[in-house]
Order: sequence, then C-alpha cells, then structure tokens
Amino acid sequence: MSVLQTNCPSCGGQVEFKAGSTIVVVCPFCRSAIARTDRGLEDIGKVAEIVDSESPLKLGLKGTYNGTRFELTGRAQMRHELGGSWDEWYATFSNGWVGWLAEAQGHFYLTFYQPLPAGTMLPTFDGLQLGQNVTEIPSPTPLMVQERGHGTTAAADGEIPYKLTPGEGFAYADLAGKDNAFATIDYSMEPPWVFIGSKVTLDEIGLGDAKPVQREARRTTAASMGCPNCGGPLALVAPDKSERVTCPNCDSLLDVNQGNLTYLHALNPPPNAPDFVAPVGAEGTFPDGNTYKIIGAVVRSVTMEGVQYFWHEYLLYNATIGFRWLVHSDNHWNFVEPINPAEVTSAGMTVSYNGQTFKIFQDAPAVVEYVKGEFYWRVEQGETVRAIDYVAAPLMLSQEISQNEINWSLGKYMTNDEVEKIFGISGLPRPWGVAPNQPFTGRFYYTWGALPLLLLLVVAVFMIPLSGLTKTVLDQQITLPPMQNATTAQAQFSQAFEIKGNNNVRITAAAPVDNSWADLDVDLVNDQNQEVESVNIPVEYYSGVDDGESWSEGGKETDATLSALPAGKYTLRVEGTWQNWQAQMPVTVKVEQGVNRGVNFCCAFLLLLLVPVLGFFRKFSFESARWRDSMFTSSGTTNTGDSGGDDE
Amino acid sequence: MLKKLYLVFGFGVLAFYGVASWFGWELANSGSHSRLGVPFFYSGFRGGK
Repeated sequence: MSVLQTNCPSCGGQVEFKAGSTIVVVCPFCRSAIARTDRGLEDIGKVAEIVDSESPLKLGLKGTYNGTRFELTGRAQMRHELGGSWDEWYATFSNGWVGWLAEAQGHFYLTFYQPLPAGTMLPTFDGLQLGQNVTEIPSPTPLMVQERGHGTTAAADGEIPYKLTPGEGFAYADLAGKDNAFATIDYSMEPPWVFIGSKVTLDEIGLGDAKPVQREARRTTAASMGCPNCGGPLALVAPDKSERVTCPNCDSLLDVNQGNLTYLHALNPPPNAPDFVAPVGAEGTFPDGNTYKIIGAVVRSVTMEGVQYFWHEYLLYNATIGFRWLVHSDNHWNFVEPINPAEVTSAGMTVSYNGQTFKIFQDAPAVVEYVKGEFYWRVEQGETVRAIDYVAAPLMLSQEISQNEINWSLGKYMTNDEVEKIFGISGLPRPWGVAPNQPFTGRFYYTWGALPLLLLLVVAVFMIPLSGLTKTVLDQQITLPPMQNATTAQAQFSQAFEIKGNNNVRITAAAPVDNSWADLDVDLVNDQNQEVESVNIPVEYYSGVDDGESWSEGGKETDATLSALPAGKYTLRVEGTWQNWQAQMPVTVKVEQGVNRGVNFCCAFLLLLLVPVLGFFRKFSFESARWRDSMFTSSGTTNTGDSGGDDE
Repeated sequence: MLKKLYLVFGFGVLAFYGVASWFGWELANSGSHSRLGVPFFYSGFRGGK
C-alpha cells in the first residue's frame, strides 16, 4: 500500500490515504470527506457519524478471500428509501483489488466491480422488471432482479474507494443467482456500474472469529427517549436496525430515526383477530441451533370470498444471524427463513427448490392488520403484498411480491410441543384443521406397517410345499342299504386308512341325488382309542326348467374340512338318511390331507390388511382436509369449493 | 408406542399363521365336538352334528 499522509483541508488534522484505490478519506477529527483529485485535496462536505450497530465487523479487520488477503479499510452506511439501512465495507486486497462487502440483516455479500464489454446496454432502472434475468451481465448463472430501489449515503468512515458524496441519493438493483451468486447495478453512474460476487459467510472470508458487538439494549426513559405520546419507557432490542416500534403503554406506532422516536398514530387491533399467544421479548433456541428473541409481532390477514382470515407472524432476531419469522396460523406453527430467490425454479403451478417440488396452495393479497414490538422496516397497518404459498409438507415456500421487491422464504412446520419447548412455556392452544404444510404422521401404517402383510405372502408361498400338497388317503364307494322307514338312518363303515398328523383333513361325499337330498353324518373313528370326530355332510341337488330357462341348485358332492387330527389308523362310519329311503344309497367318500383351502391365509391377510387400508384412508382424509382450504386443488387447478379437493 | 404395538400385533398374526400352517390347524368348515385336535379351531362355519 502506498501511504499518503496529509492534513485535512478543513481542520488541519492528519489524515492518511493508505490504499492506492482510496478516493475519499473521512477525517477522524472533523468528519469531513476529503477527496483526492488531480488538483489536490478537496473537502466535499461533512459526513455523519456511523450509527452504532451490532455488526461483527470493524475497520482494520483482516480476512482472506480465494487465497488473497484483504483488510477492511472503509465503511459507508446507506439508508433505504423505505426505511432501514445497510452497511458497505470496503475491502482492500493485497493484490490491489477492492471488494464491496455489503452487510444487511445479518447477511454478507462480497462483490467486485465488473467492467462490461464495450457496447453492452443494460436495462434502464425504470425498465427493470422484478424477477427478470439480466442476461447482459456475464455470469455463469442467470442473475434475476430481486429488488430495485433507492438509497442515500448516510454516513461513512475510513477510506472510500469512490467519490462518496454525503447525502447523495442513488438508484440500484440487486440481482441474485444460483449458488449464492449476487450482483448489484449502481445506477448513480452513467453507464451504470455492475458489481458481481456472491453471498458469503464470515467463515468463508476468514472473518469467522468476528463477534457481534454485545451491548445492553438501549432503554429509553421518559426523561430522555420515552414514548413521545405517553412518556412511557421503551426497550429497543435492535436499535440500530429498527425503523418502527410500538409503545407497549399507549399502543402507539412510533418511527425510529437514529434513536429519535416520533409519534405516528395510535394502533387499533382488529376486533376479530385472535390475541398473540407468544410474548414479545420471549427468547429460545430454535431447530437451526440459534437463539432468537421475539422482537415484534404482526397480525396479518387475507380475505377470501368476503371472509377475513387472520394469522400471526413473530419477528425473531439474532444479532449474528439476523431476522427470522415464527408464523402462527390456526394454532399451527412454522419457522420461516429467507432464501435466495434465484434458487427457486417456477414451472406453472409448481415451483422447485433444493430438489423438491412444491404445489401452489394460495395466492392472495396479505394485509398487515396490527403490529406490536419493533421492526426493521417502516411497517404500516394496511401494508399489502401479494403472497403466494407453495407446499411440500413439512415445508412451505412463500413468495411475497411488493412494488420493488420479491422475497422468497422457506417455512418448516413445527409442532406445538416444539414451540413450547423452545420458549419454555406450556398450554399453547391446540391446532385445528390441517395446516397447508402439516406433515402426515401416519405414513408408517401403510409403509413399514405393511411389512407383516408382505411377509405373510412370503411365508404363505413357503408354507405350501412345507405343509404338504394334497394327498388322497381314502377313496371308496359305500352303499347304504334301503332305510326301514323315513327316519331310521342306515350306517356303514369304510375300510381303514392312515392319517398323518399336522395335516388338515377334507372329507368329500358324493351321492347320486337328483331333485332329492341325502343327509350324511360321517364319523372319523380313531382305531387306536376309538375317539370320534363327526361331521355332517348334506348332499342335495335340484334342477328343472322354468319358463324355458333351465336351473339347478346344490350339488351331488359336498365336502367338509377338519383341522389336523392325531396321526394313526382311522375308519369312516357313514350314517345317512335320504329322501328316497326305500332305495339303497351308494355314497362315494374321499378323504384327503394337506388341502390348501386358503382360509387361514385369507383371515390373516384381511387382519393384516386392515391397518394399512385404514392408514391409506386416513392419508386420503388428511390430504382432502389440507386442500379443502386451498384456492387450488393438489393438481394445481383452481378449487371451485364444491369438493374437498382431490388427492394424490 | 402405537406403532410398536401394531408391529407386535402384525408379527403375532404372522407367527400364528405360520404355526397354524405347520401344524395343520384349520379354520374348519365343519367338525363337531372337539374331542380331537385343537378345540379353538372347531367353531366351523356350518357347525357340526
């Protein structure tokens, strides 16, 4: 670095231009911005002091980016036209490069000036459309317009690598690309200057050890900075970032301008909106491992077919991470983080993010109805954005489109128990209905729960040969002599036969009945111990012709099946009565073993099928309930409201 | 807990089916006075004598 030491033309104090790239130095004694020009030093006006912030960065910090060392040599604070501010740190690299390290809401963006090829015509500021890709900027990934706005140079410190003019306004556009690509178009120059780089973490640029400034929250008092309306005390958690605060004493909305409070108007909570269930000031550690404090709460609403639906959004703050949201709707909870809009790919009624496809669920204007706490933007009752929600449980992608900005955020469903654990509270009201991104928790019953069913099929296949194939152990014709009268049965014994254990037994009896019946009682008599197992086998067969149509009923053969019997020698005793009792009755009896009737299998199958089927039914009902509240069906068509939505 | 109970039930049914197949136990469609075999299965669909 070529150090130029000189005296401030305003106060005479010694100032140094350490870096060759430095154009302006802010005099640390009188805060004059001193520009280095061809004609010498030029005092271009007083610069306001940097507003104290909780930034982990400070002048003089040294880091490394892509193997090249740098030092933070300058800083400027910019104010956004809609309120809020951001810091730009100037990183002077050892190889002479100058990097712009922007810090906004806990995010860091490192960019470098990128000269464009001769003849490149960038879109004009007014011609820029939110969401459009600016293909004129050479980049490995398309860069999409995320925000366009106006800023003002509010304060500066150290060495600035361009001619910073205090209080000067400028137009800019922020562009985002995949893989954290980031660019800014500065429309204060003609032609506009382009800065290209990426979103970075402090670890990635060798500043991971930088810690946020820890301070006590500023507590204004009635004597110093009390509520200008009622004089009550206020506590600001993020005084350097807050643009609006509400007075907890008189419910006024106050403007915060560098620590000065201005009364704007009284707030009126909507009469139908439910009360906040989490207190502003509550603190807890969230699933991402970071501790956040609730610093603000918003009641928002959408109106559908004349009905207003409310929900709550809690603004979470962590000095290192920045801002997050905790959304409470119908007593369902979501933890919401901002994401890079360029990572979202739209395909009609679905969008893709991080390899997942999300279905459109809602597209409606969302209105701010009431606020409480402090906010990093100039929040107003009635503030309206177009809010589009896409769901892939347990995640929800939300797009909010305002006049100058497109924001995407990713919400993750949280259970009441999780929220209660985070804040160490209990008794949160239980949710009703199904949330748009509520995960279905009964999936187990038709996935792993179907495992016994599948195993049953396997076991059944193996059991058929193991338990033996059907084998006939007796096939004999027995002739029963004519009955003595219509009620006295006749009986005959079969020949003896062997029955194996562990095999079921099927007895089939066939009789030459024709438009008549025979009622047979068959006893299986164990020849060893004379124990008897009896079955009744009625055989009846009727047929005829009615109105030219032939019909028949019953059969000439009937069977009965028994469970396994003890192995041994058996004899059948066949006793029967029959309709034509005066004639003899020839009966053919057959005894088989190892008959695969499938009754056991069917019973087991039905038992095991019951729970998976109920699981599927629950899933169907759950998804129907989910999509019932949507403007769309799960297939992306507009929901007419006639049905409960369809299902996947 | 409910999931574990269901799995216990499911595998219980499965085991019962396997044992019944092995021993030839049958949900018989006939049979009578359960002097032989496994009484539980002798309910029968049509009843015995």
